Amino acid sequence: MTTFADSASTFIAKRPDAATRRLAWSLYEATGLPTTTDEVWRYAPLSDLDLEHFEVPSAPQQTPDSDFATQLCQRAGLVVRVVDGFCVSTGDVVEGVTVEVDQSSESLAGETLLHRYEGDTFALLNAALSPGATVIRVAAGVNVAQPVVVLNESTTGASFPRTQIVVGRGASVTVVEYFEGGRDALVVPVSEYRLDDNASLQLITYQRLDSTAWHVARTTGFLSRDARLHQAVVGLGAHYDRSRNDAEMLGAGAANELRTTFLGSGHQVHDFRTRQYHVAPRTTSKLLSKGAVADHSRSIYTGLIEIEKGAKRTDARQTNHNLLLAPNAHADSVPNLDIRENDVMCAHASSVGPLDELQRWYLESRGVSRDDAQRLLIQGFFYEMLAALPSELAGLVESDVASVLASVAAVTS
Amino acid sequence: MNSELKIEGLRVEVAGKEVLKGLDLTMHSGEVHAIMGPNGSGKSTLAHALTGHPGYRVLDGSVTIDGVELLTMSPTDRAREGLMLVLQQPFEIPGVRSYDLLRAAGADPTTLRERMLDEARRIELPPELLDRFVNVDLSGGERKRAEMVQLGVLRPKFALLDEIDSGLDVDALDAVAKRLTAATTEWNCGVLAITHFRRLLLELTPTMIHVMSNGRVVATGGPELAVTLERDGYETFRDASA
Repeated sequence: MTTFADSASTFIAKRPDAATRRLAWSLYEATGLPTTTDEVWRYAPLSDLDLEHFEVPSAPQQTPDSDFATQLCQRAGLVVRVVDGFCVSTGDVVEGVTVEVDQSSESLAGETLLHRYEGDTFALLNAALSPGATVIRVAAGVNVAQPVVVLNESTTGASFPRTQIVVGRGASVTVVEYFEGGRDALVVPVSEYRLDDNASLQLITYQRLDSTAWHVARTTGFLSRDARLHQAVVGLGAHYDRSRNDAEMLGAGAANELRTTFLGSGHQVHDFRTRQYHVAPRTTSKLLSKGAVADHSRSIYTGLIEIEKGAKRTDARQTNHNLLLAPNAHADSVPNLDIRENDVMCAHASSVGPLDELQRWYLESRGVSRDDAQRLLIQGFFYEMLAALPSELAGLVESDVASVLASVAAVTS
Repeated sequence: MNSELKIEGLRVEVAGKEVLKGLDLTMHSGEVHAIMGPNGSGKSTLAHALTGHPGYRVLDGSVTIDGVELLTMSPTDRAREGLMLVLQQPFEIPGVRSYDLLRAAGADPTTLRERMLDEARRIELPPELLDRFVNVDLSGGERKRAEMVQLGVLRPKFALLDEIDSGLDVDALDAVAKRLTAATTEWNCGVLAITHFRRLLLELTPTMIHVMSNGRVVATGGPELAVTLERDGYETFRDASA
């Protein structure tokens, strides 16, 4: 059997930038996987994670699209297809949009990935083992009318998708990053978004991996002056679903809205981390995290608002609500603030508890059964997150969410 | 169909305090009854207790529609027996659309969309607001109009209105009263309007007026009772209950 290390070594040897990748690999080897004694990995079931179980594919494997993926693509203006981390199709030509694969190992932050993600083992593995970054560029001033779908499919083994989206000055676009497949797989995506002055990116990350998958994702937005990043992250799949979503407000007036939501069932773990980093003045961040845990599942939300000295009149808000649907389900919520400027507005709120009794009663008092009321309210968590979707996609994604919810017994009992 | 809503000896406790102390009231389909009374007389408690609000505990009494006891039923089943409460401040339900609510409440999906649009037109609610999440980002007046859309689709045997006139502009009040008046003939809806003021009753003509004080109905009479109340206040009735 080919082990992770052997297949990784074979993979790296064939890449043109093997030397840089070996360096990333050696950094990973030097630190190894994190352990649960590390605070940021405290709740992860890392003792169950054996990398030797996963082979790094040297080429994308064949996989059929799910019905949902097919329909999603039919409604998109542009479909970029990524299988096992390999960009296999850059889609049709759309004016003002270019899609290419970049092998340069550069982060959109303007430094190398190695430097950028030093200390983050999984991101370093991505730096070593991703076939390359799928880079989507929207030219300055272009408003892309139809949504772009990045269809990420994983088969088995380990895959390391890397996506970079650059939205030029004054341009706007809606992108759906969709993940499916990944039976018994490890999926480690690293995504970066660079928004130039006054650019707008509406982003939906929809994770529907197989319930056996390990998903360790990291996204970072870099926002220039008056740029707007609206990001919704929906986590439904995977055995362990780790999603770190950061935004850096680097230009004055930059605005970030982040909404994350998840539903845990079985023994799933949803582990959400966020960092809203305010560097420039008059920047805003609004974060809403809402999730539900059923059965024996658990969720972790840790959010950090960090405000640099000089980021005057920053307005940063963070809200986290966790819904417990079963006595053995568990949710942790840890909001953090790190503020080095006085002239700011900052607020955070978090709660863990059962469903809102009065909202449920209101629905029941109209003749809705208790089960249906509960289902509607939980479904509502997701529909709220999906409100940003363009109408051509909203109905489709909503019914997909509804079908997943219907399969979780605890949602209606 | 002619139905009867009968409340007998209803005693209800809120936060350990008895608020309704043996309330009796009977009404029939197609009638408009008003319950008037000062703050703290138990008007809202009645509305919430009838529909099974979790914060209200029934100590004793009976509430029936055509002899079927409601108090032992879940809020859902009470609604399905034909009772609907229109709240003073309808709840916001983020992520839930009226269409999905009404469908789950048992409305026929093949005609639901059309019926909602029709009801919205009648109550002068811009149809695009129907696609918003229930009561989210709606003004006070829009919320009441949206509740009327639900009422028109669900067609309850008896509608309870809990001080829906407070905070409502004249146009909205007029539209809501007109819709309710039409309901009394369209499907013979019985309307029980709880109100603090007489304003609603100028638009929505009551058949009977009940005056509440200290947890009981202390006087019942025709529309002229509202005039007496407006002139003399609740003091005389308060004495009657002592």
